[in-house]
Amino acid sequence: MFSFQTIFDNLPVLIGAARYTLLISVLGCAQGLLVGAVVCAGALSRRVWLRRAAALYVSFFRGVPLLIQLLVAFYLLPVIGINVPALVAAVLTVGLCAAAYLSEVLRGALNAIPRGQAEAAAAIGMAPRDLWLRILLPQALKIGLPAIINELILLVKASSLVTVVGIVEITRMSQSIASATYRPLEIYLAAAFLYLAINLVIAQAGRLLERRLAY
Amino acid sequence: MTTLSSSPAAASMRKVNKYYGTFHALRDVDLDIPPGKVTCLIGPSGSGKSTLLRCLNFLEDYDSGEVRIDDQLIGYETPGGRRMSARRLREMRRDIGMVFQQFNLWPHMTALQNVAEGLERVRGFSRPEAEVRAREALAKVGLADKEANHPSRLSGGQQQRVAIARAIAMQPRIMLFDEPTSALDPELVGEVLGVMKQLASEGMTMVVVTHEMGFAAHVADRVVFMERGEIVAVGSPREVFHDAADPRLQSFLQGYRERNSLEF
Amino acid sequence: MPDLLHRYGPDLLTGFGMTLFTWALGTLLGFALGFAIELLRRFGPKRLAWPIRAYVEFIRGTPFLVQLFVLYYGGPLIGLRLDALPAGVLGLTIYGSAYFTEILRAGFDAVPKGQIEAARAMGFTDGVIVRRIMVPVMMVSALPALVNFAIILTKETVILSMITVPEIMFQTQTMMSETFAFVEPILILALFFWGFVEVISRLGRRLERRFTHYLLERS
Repeated sequence: MFSFQTIFDNLPVLIGAARYTLLISVLGCAQGLLVGAVVCAGALSRRVWLRRAAALYVSFFRGVPLLIQLLVAFYLLPVIGINVPALVAAVLTVGLCAAAYLSEVLRGALNAIPRGQAEAAAAIGMAPRDLWLRILLPQALKIGLPAIINELILLVKASSLVTVVGIVEITRMSQSIASATYRPLEIYLAAAFLYLAINLVIAQAGRLLERRLAY
Repeated sequence: MTTLSSSPAAASMRKVNKYYGTFHALRDVDLDIPPGKVTCLIGPSGSGKSTLLRCLNFLEDYDSGEVRIDDQLIGYETPGGRRMSARRLREMRRDIGMVFQQFNLWPHMTALQNVAEGLERVRGFSRPEAEVRAREALAKVGLADKEANHPSRLSGGQQQRVAIARAIAMQPRIMLFDEPTSALDPELVGEVLGVMKQLASEGMTMVVVTHEMGFAAHVADRVVFMERGEIVAVGSPREVFHDAADPRLQSFLQGYRERNSLEF
Repeated sequence: MPDLLHRYGPDLLTGFGMTLFTWALGTLLGFALGFAIELLRRFGPKRLAWPIRAYVEFIRGTPFLVQLFVLYYGGPLIGLRLDALPAGVLGLTIYGSAYFTEILRAGFDAVPKGQIEAARAMGFTDGVIVRRIMVPVMMVSALPALVNFAIILTKETVILSMITVPEIMFQTQTMMSETFAFVEPILILALFFWGFVEVISRLGRRLERRFTHYLLERS
């Protein structure tokens, strides 16, 4: 018999654990944007070695499954003498991985800005710093917004993998509840719908933000 | 053919050559832009008019020769020498206004912000001072009431007038227009040409690449006809449009008349 | 290190084979199911539109890991008793189908209306139009996205280790827990996957070029 009671009883605990899901995905996305901007700058650089390094970075973090990256951070960092709490390791890893994708998002967005935008700035003698901060980045962030929101949603789902390094977010919490209550179907479905709800809210917020930023 | 002015040129080109790969875009171009006058560049597509114009503010680099603005070499430290520093180039470009075919307004800024941006970031005015000057420029092109609009809320003609305001607000010594009406619907061309005429009457030095033969005939002090990267004819509108003997120029004008069934 | 390889080499190879197998099967079945769903949505009865949309949104809005848990641990409660491997492949199939469906939908939407009208004007039946015009044109525009998603699926296969499917990740973790050696196994795994994904990506790009070459030749 499908037990809704089990779901109602355990929902508050699951929602509590969603704190960590959100913490990891939001911080990971923010870090991903910052590091991604640096990687993107490398990819657009005139120096060959910087372009190569950026390409290698993107290829590695997109080529190796996040689950393996998490294990690298969790098991290998202590071996080389870096001891950080599991949560920090998880956020850093998720952020570095997101940076690979977001650097490509930023690159695509920058490419989508017509050449004339930068030419108009050059023609009035604008310095590179102002060109980037005032003309290019604001437009790139707007063009890239749907893709950035999409990446955030991917991160919410991907954050379920930090279970392997022992952080009690939604998935890990649902595992312990499931084994305690012997009600895996109800609990895992509840967890699934919780993720779905979070992602629908993010998607909706993204659409509102897009509309706000429309000019 | 006469030269209109004996005073020193506002801009000049000497033996300028430009290649795109193996394509010879500008061939030994020699040209003087007289101060306070309107110079129109005409010619078929791909003849090098826009390339020439873009060499004047070094948006396009030239391969040999000299381009001077107010007698100062632009782009290189010495003729054929090293590139000038980015900072020095920026300083020179501040005094050269440019208006593009596609307007190139910044879509995330209002009309006022588009005009004030350069005043604040490049000329170094305070925000309020920049806005006062930007409003003056917008009023001059007849768009005082549109300052809060983003470009997407303006017609093509209005966008181009904002772009002109953006350029004149910087108080340039010379203005370059790269086919300013080519991207506009026919009924919007007039308002932009009107603003340009007004600028001309105030004595602005203007170089205009255009397909508007009417504008060239009535407003230009000097018309330059180009073909295949070469300057074929230079003179007053009357000299170029009526008295020209060059067969290439005649066939260009003939084609234009047939397409437009217009007299000028 | 050589000892480890000697002892665990065969297991690692089996694991790799299992990874390839689950990926290939999951991708193929996922694509087939996704294609069927898209045809049903596009040409089937209208009342199916809503359930299909709910299915796609649910799968795309939830983590693959949680979907696997529902299927593998929750399935038996409704009589769906699967071993780890079939559960894993079924999970990949369902997961993939939702994404493939969306890609195919965008592909169909991108078929220029004029091409369909041209066929209709010549008197083609709807069935012929779908088979001979829409599907081929759609596949060309959807191919890059399809290849890209197939590559994403290679990485999702490691998640099957969490329900004890004995693929490469599972084998590596077994090795780690038995030997307490962490550095070598994880590095092997990371490098191996990096290479694997790189190879699949190159193959995918070649496939794309092969099918879209006539589009490229024009320019």
